[in-house]
Amino acid sequence: MLFSPNDLSECLREWDDLEKDYEQIQDTHRLYKQKLEEVSKLQNSCSSAIARQRKRLGELTLSLKGCKKTPLTSTLSPKEIESIAEMEESIKDKTNVFFEMEAFLPRKNGLYLTLVLGNINVTLLNKQAKFAYKDEYEKFKLVLTVILFMFSFTCRFLFSYRVLDALFNFLLVWYYCTLTIRESILISNGSRIKGWWVFHHYVSTFLSGVMLTWPDGALYQMFRNQFLSYNLYQSFVQFLQYYYQSGCLYRLRALGERHTMDLTVEGFQSWMWRGLTFLLPFLFFGHFWQLYNSMTLFRMFQLPECKEWQVLMCGCSYMVLFMGNLFTTLRVVYQKYMNNEDKSKPM
Amino acid sequence: MSPSLTEVQEEWQSLELEYQKLQETHKKYLQKLDEISKLQSSCSSSIARHRKRLKEVSRQVNKCTKGSSVDDAKTLADIKEKVKTQENAFSEMDAFLPKKNGLYLNLVLGNVNVTLLSKQSKFAYKDEYEKFKLYLTVILLLFSVICFFFVSYRSMDAIFNFLLVWYYCTLTIRESILITNGSRIKGWWVFHHYISAFLSGVMLTWPDGILYQTFRNQFLAYSFYQNFVQCLQYYYQSGCLYRLRALGERHNMDLTVEGFQSWMWKGLTFLLPFLFFGHFWQLFNSLSLFRMAQLPDCKEWQVRMCGLCFLILFMGNFFTTLAVVRHKMKSRNQKRKSM
Repeated sequence: MLFSPNDLSECLREWDDLEKDYEQIQDTHRLYKQKLEEVSKLQNSCSSAIARQRKRLGELTLSLKGCKKTPLTSTLSPKEIESIAEMEESIKDKTNVFFEMEAFLPRKNGLYLTLVLGNINVTLLNKQAKFAYKDEYEKFKLVLTVILFMFSFTCRFLFSYRVLDALFNFLLVWYYCTLTIRESILISNGSRIKGWWVFHHYVSTFLSGVMLTWPDGALYQMFRNQFLSYNLYQSFVQFLQYYYQSGCLYRLRALGERHTMDLTVEGFQSWMWRGLTFLLPFLFFGHFWQLYNSMTLFRMFQLPECKEWQVLMCGCSYMVLFMGNLFTTLRVVYQKYMNNEDKSKPM
Repeated sequence: MSPSLTEVQEEWQSLELEYQKLQETHKKYLQKLDEISKLQSSCSSSIARHRKRLKEVSRQVNKCTKGSSVDDAKTLADIKEKVKTQENAFSEMDAFLPKKNGLYLNLVLGNVNVTLLSKQSKFAYKDEYEKFKLYLTVILLLFSVICFFFVSYRSMDAIFNFLLVWYYCTLTIRESILITNGSRIKGWWVFHHYISAFLSGVMLTWPDGILYQTFRNQFLAYSFYQNFVQCLQYYYQSGCLYRLRALGERHNMDLTVEGFQSWMWKGLTFLLPFLFFGHFWQLFNSLSLFRMAQLPDCKEWQVRMCGLCFLILFMGNFFTTLAVVRHKMKSRNQKRKSM
């Protein structure tokens, strides 16, 4: 095929254009790298300034305490007392401000994240990214809960193979491990998740791992159906929770009453009294099912044919889960009850 | 003696001044963060656009080259060279722009950005990955020794297998992060970690019994040998890589792997027999398991599954290593021919 001189000149013209474009891209990229360096310097200076301020504020708080225990020479005038109170208020405000500032500064990962990911920085550096990440975490929980529900249904009512059970347990282990990783990242990014709700994922991982190693046998078959039904119920309740909690959180956030980084959890939290009280009985039933599992396993352990260590270990894990869940939930109820009492007293 | 209120108030004033400065710096910082994220998206989109145009131009240049005059051909060849240079420059630029995570990282981590934005941090991350491999390999070595010589409980074995599964899964996560950051790890070396994780998982579910006990010692001895060779590898490979990097012959982000790579001919050839012995041990494991599967009392599916995994590992490892050896032989023959 013959080419025309026009093709070539067009080609050359496009190429000239591209070269100019390329220069521009290189300039932008150079500017970008420069700004990256500036930002990293600013990060360091902010982090060290915050650390310095925190130290000095700590020392100041001690000094203020010392001032309040008045020296023998004079007592404090009301004006001085006022100024001390002001300073203490201001110190508290500043501490909160620092907490907010640090959410946008890179920080070292905790032990768990360092082990799994290494020293990669997982701080998301703007509010939308943090929120998007949290949103994605909640979608992940919802989707996986549905999958686990269907899987446990299949294992309980449709197929009865140890292999399928093993797959189900692996999925559980993987799900809980992934949750722990994602939650560690969220905590690095300013989410406030209470200790027990994170820790109970570690216990659940361990429990699923132990279930995984339980060899097929008479005792396993005895417990299997109870375990699968329990998982079915658990997935169902978790699905309810996440679905209703997201809606509730959304509403409360719009009203400005909750922090943007608050998450849905598998338990009852103080803000849930507004509209989610109906979940409480479901939750308590789930907790008592955990107790029932634990008792069943302890009873099985007493049988003469019981040679598997998994029985006792699972029993202990369910007991730990039950106690942690029950007491954490009870505390929320108790606090509400106390608040109601306080409210009703002055009336 | 506690400080007087006036002293405290003076300290307070100076703290307030510092606090104001901090707020200013932080505001400037947030502003710059914003600018950076805009620059990032503009860079990424202009690079993507430019790449498309480069493809178009390459196509046109190829069309024009057929039947062009000598001078024109030279110009066109020149353009082709420059296109290649630009594409290389873009790969370098990409290493500093955030990119979307692959499927695996997305599943595990979500859409947190794992691109490390400076050369030192990338290198530090790679360094840390290699230390991690070395430490865990030593721990696994000790564990396999304990399980083999001292304690013989199925629960200890289970913990060992869990550790293996965790180790290989963590490696896959870290390697995905490294690949996102520009490391060039060949397909098989990443894939074989997934297989190893799966294999360890299946071993985990294998119930205690006669067949398990028959295979157990062989498996533990194999793990011991494997971890020993890996220790050797990582130790010598790091040293070799360091030297080659200093000579400028390897890329900064090249990693130590569990196999033999082309650059290892310079000083690490002694590792080859150890590696081949390991591969043939995998074949031996696979054959033992297949033979066990034929026994009348074999009811466990794990036997065949593990046999299959070991076979895949053997074939992948053996043929990948063999390819490197053949490549070397070919280039040596070519050199000899040209002399």
